[in-house]
Amino acid sequence: MFNYYFGLAVRSLRRNIVLTVLMIAAVGVGIGASMTTLTVFRAMDNDPIPQKSRQLFAVQIDNWGPDTKSIVAGDKERFQQQLSYIDAVGLMNAKAAHSQTAMYRTGAALTPANPSLLPFQVQIRAAYTDFFPMFQTPFLLGGPWSADDDKNHADVAVITQKLNDKVFGGGNSIGKTINLDNHEYRIVGILGRWDPTPQFYDLNNDAFGEGAAVYLPFTRAIDGQMPSWGNNNCNGDIGQPGWEGRLRSECVWIQFWAELPTAADAENYRTFLNNYATEQQHLGRFHWPAHTRIRDVREWLVYQHVVSDEYRILVLVSFSFLLVCLLNAMGLMLAKIMGRAGDIGVRRALGASRRAIFGQCLIEAGVVGLAGGLLGLALTALGLMGLRSLLSEEVSRLTHFSPADITIAIVLAVVATTLAGLYPTWRAAQVQPAWQLKAQ
Amino acid sequence: MQFRPIISAMRRNKVGAVLIAVQMAITLAILCNALFLIEQRVAWSQRPTGTDEANVVVIQNQWVGSPPDLAARLQGDLAALRSLPGVQDATSSNTYPLSGGGSTTGLSLKPDQKNATALASIYFGDEHAIAAFGLKLIAGRNFNSDEVVNKMGYTDLNPPAGIIVTRTLAEKLFPNGSAVGQSVYEESIKGQIPIVGVVDRMQVPWVGAGGWGSKFSESSLFMPFHFLSSYPTYYLVRSQPGQAAAVMQAAQKKLFDISRARVIGKALTLAAARTEAYKDDKGLVVILAVVCASLLAVTSFGIVGLTSYWVAQRRRQIGIRRALGATRNAIIQYFQTENLLIAGAGAVLGIAMAVSLNLWMVNIFAMQRLNTGYALIGAIVVLVLGQIAVLWPALRAASVPPALATRAA
Amino acid sequence: MLKMTHLSKAYRTEVVETYALRDFSIHVREGEFVAVTGPSGSGKTTFLTIAGLLEEFSGGEYQLDGANVRGLNDNQRSRLRNEKIGFIFQAFNLIADLNVQDNIDVPLRYRGFNAAERRRRIQEALGRVGLSARSRHYPAELSGGQQQRVAIARALAGSPRLLLADEPTGNLDTQMARGVLDLLEELHRDGATIVMVTHDPELAVRAQREVHIVDGQVVDLAAQPRLVAAANANT
Repeated sequence: MFNYYFGLAVRSLRRNIVLTVLMIAAVGVGIGASMTTLTVFRAMDNDPIPQKSRQLFAVQIDNWGPDTKSIVAGDKERFQQQLSYIDAVGLMNAKAAHSQTAMYRTGAALTPANPSLLPFQVQIRAAYTDFFPMFQTPFLLGGPWSADDDKNHADVAVITQKLNDKVFGGGNSIGKTINLDNHEYRIVGILGRWDPTPQFYDLNNDAFGEGAAVYLPFTRAIDGQMPSWGNNNCNGDIGQPGWEGRLRSECVWIQFWAELPTAADAENYRTFLNNYATEQQHLGRFHWPAHTRIRDVREWLVYQHVVSDEYRILVLVSFSFLLVCLLNAMGLMLAKIMGRAGDIGVRRALGASRRAIFGQCLIEAGVVGLAGGLLGLALTALGLMGLRSLLSEEVSRLTHFSPADITIAIVLAVVATTLAGLYPTWRAAQVQPAWQLKAQ
Repeated sequence: MQFRPIISAMRRNKVGAVLIAVQMAITLAILCNALFLIEQRVAWSQRPTGTDEANVVVIQNQWVGSPPDLAARLQGDLAALRSLPGVQDATSSNTYPLSGGGSTTGLSLKPDQKNATALASIYFGDEHAIAAFGLKLIAGRNFNSDEVVNKMGYTDLNPPAGIIVTRTLAEKLFPNGSAVGQSVYEESIKGQIPIVGVVDRMQVPWVGAGGWGSKFSESSLFMPFHFLSSYPTYYLVRSQPGQAAAVMQAAQKKLFDISRARVIGKALTLAAARTEAYKDDKGLVVILAVVCASLLAVTSFGIVGLTSYWVAQRRRQIGIRRALGATRNAIIQYFQTENLLIAGAGAVLGIAMAVSLNLWMVNIFAMQRLNTGYALIGAIVVLVLGQIAVLWPALRAASVPPALATRAA
Repeated sequence: MLKMTHLSKAYRTEVVETYALRDFSIHVREGEFVAVTGPSGSGKTTFLTIAGLLEEFSGGEYQLDGANVRGLNDNQRSRLRNEKIGFIFQAFNLIADLNVQDNIDVPLRYRGFNAAERRRRIQEALGRVGLSARSRHYPAELSGGQQQRVAIARALAGSPRLLLADEPTGNLDTQMARGVLDLLEELHRDGATIVMVTHDPELAVRAQREVHIVDGQVVDLAAQPRLVAAANANT
């Protein structure tokens, strides 16, 4: 029966081409608009590391206390999202988690070995060796540096494939060196494409930007006095001047992540953090009770407000638009079905039950939805192209259609249009078989 | 025009009429909120920075490593830039307006004040900074060259000899009198800092509406420092009017002639920086405008479609009316009045929806209260749209021949 | 085959209740060709819509092919209509969107026949009405008489027990009307039970028996000698 209804639907749609085109256009435009914004929204709202997002935790320690001066207001939930060097090192030394890494963003001038090439700027992430297995970075060649390298503040580096191509023209560059600010680092690993979106591990700086090109041991970067190229927050007192002064200050500029595979691990770590802060209180460094927090990746993304209000509003606007389009299609379907009341009356007289008429009209609505969905997909592609030309490079990176988006578009179109078709369809099923006879 | 027969006819097409009214209401609600947002964003992205944007060239400079003679290199670069043809003046700073990155401090009137009196963004600059940015000094004086000292990275905490503040910051700190000659305290630097001058405007480096800096976007200060750092720093070169492109080329070439052990990260005018900085705002405006236009199009096509259907349904009835003496105009008016009634109901509902949508967004998002003028403009747009959309089907209705009444249905 | 006893049908508005049929009794036997006549407004069409299970009735009994149809739900009525009754309408009521064979296909689809069976029945019905060559034409491309023959083919295709015809020649000129009527008589000779509603006495005489309705009640003319009437018609 489905095939029969489908055939009837296509025939009926071809019969009244203007109404059909209007309906499909309405659904298509609505789907196009809503899918365009939804695609960007989904990319922003993406879980960047779904297999581990419940096991990786960002660590917060309140080292400023309730009387913070100016930068962060006294909201108990909104406290420092980064750690001071003192706390970062304290937690690294404690090794209370399964794996953990302190890290920060920095940069340097890379001087290529070929003297005819000009030096260029590279983004650097200073981290511990656990960074790589924790965040499941794909190595093309080599691997992370060793824990000993961390301990020895070794001159080693992991670089991206892109940088390897640029500096060495690709190939196996393990063992070669790169020159960063006149200092040589030995390459131990080359990363393949690794582009978690958003860049959850450091949201203070370019949540949707490109990641680092070079990874160095945290201990080595500190030795090299490589300053943070990211967000630095100091609560009034910057402390003593100079690099040593910065390391001893309460300024926060270091991200800290811990891998805690089970709920029990997380609970233990919470206790550990609390004890750590309490100990700092006893030592006289904190003048307030322990105030610490761990948040897993999803909680962290929400807490950091990764999806900006603008895009939430845009999604809201475009889905209201879809609603208008569906109301529109619903009105047209109603007109179309009522215009066919005669035929429906005859079918009823010839033995079609209400259910049969209902099914026939609902499938027609579904066909409109399907066609509208396909049109919507084309319009979405067009819309995303438009966004790429309109928006900054950072956001443009989020305008790529995934197979999931295509499925969502089609399913949304068919389901929404069918729902909009329910009322007109119900009206069609109410058409009395006697009607046509009476009208004679 | 009589309403009663129209209303009783509409009752027979209840659902269709309701569908159109609800569509128009949602259209109105989205339209006026979107227009409001567009207007705000356009106004936001057009705020002046206070600088001579068209002629100020920004060149990002990063030294390879940390050469020991940084101070001399900086002086050499600046002297060379100032001597280029077509250059009015040049300075060096840690950041520039529209860059999106910079440094903030809290200023207080007393040494142990718990909460800062004002937040301000910090620009470093020498005695050439005012001329190089193209700012207007409105009170006090510029820095003297002997006040300008070297600052070795952000962890160097030497106090400045004095600061120059913006008018807005001066008024925030000293609402009752001149700021020049007064002193303030800064978060990290020990001791008083005298205010030596006031410039009319100098915007903070951050541009995001509702983002960091948006609450004190006109509060900036200059400290008389040459910034020596392994961070990238910026040369600001102000060209003679219209020569920015040539100066940008010449300046980069000159810098590489002096030394190749550097990275020039980017070079652009402040005007170009503005385009880049507000790209997402402009994009949002365009997207909203496109959505609004599509919304209006879809709604009007919906009206055309449904009204055409009603006309087709009532052809015989219209023929009878014509036979009974109704003029073409009377038929057109009939459908226009019908649409006006539906759109009117939609507009009332729409204004209510617009206001509640706005109130909700004020709560959820950091959005401002809707100006009621926008709701009224939206209502008028929707009413006019309805009248235009209904015109075509109404004309078709008017062309139904009276003779139709004499024929069988 | 069709038996109504003391049947009544009332139409209610807010103010009045009008009876279209009152204490209406009729019995049509298998194989009969009955003409139902009466002035306009007498209740002919109401009788037909109830007989065809298109509408429900207010009181009394109605047995169709031995089964009581009172209180059946919409699905059951649709089913019965589909299986037992073939309709021939005055305005043909062909679906304009569908060509001849697809029109005939409509009741067969609802019947649930498989493709081969449907094809066979469509061919057979078309053959019966002599329109095999027109199976792919659309209604608009056919003359009125041809359209009505398609409608008859559609009514026949499901092998109904009962054919209900409502002024089957009302929209046709004399020539075509005669053709359609000949077809109905032929069907009757082949054993079909036919109930035909008409206000045209000339048509009515072609039936075996005439039932006259006045003011919603039957005035049985069966007792009167049909032969005389038939003879008159032939002269």
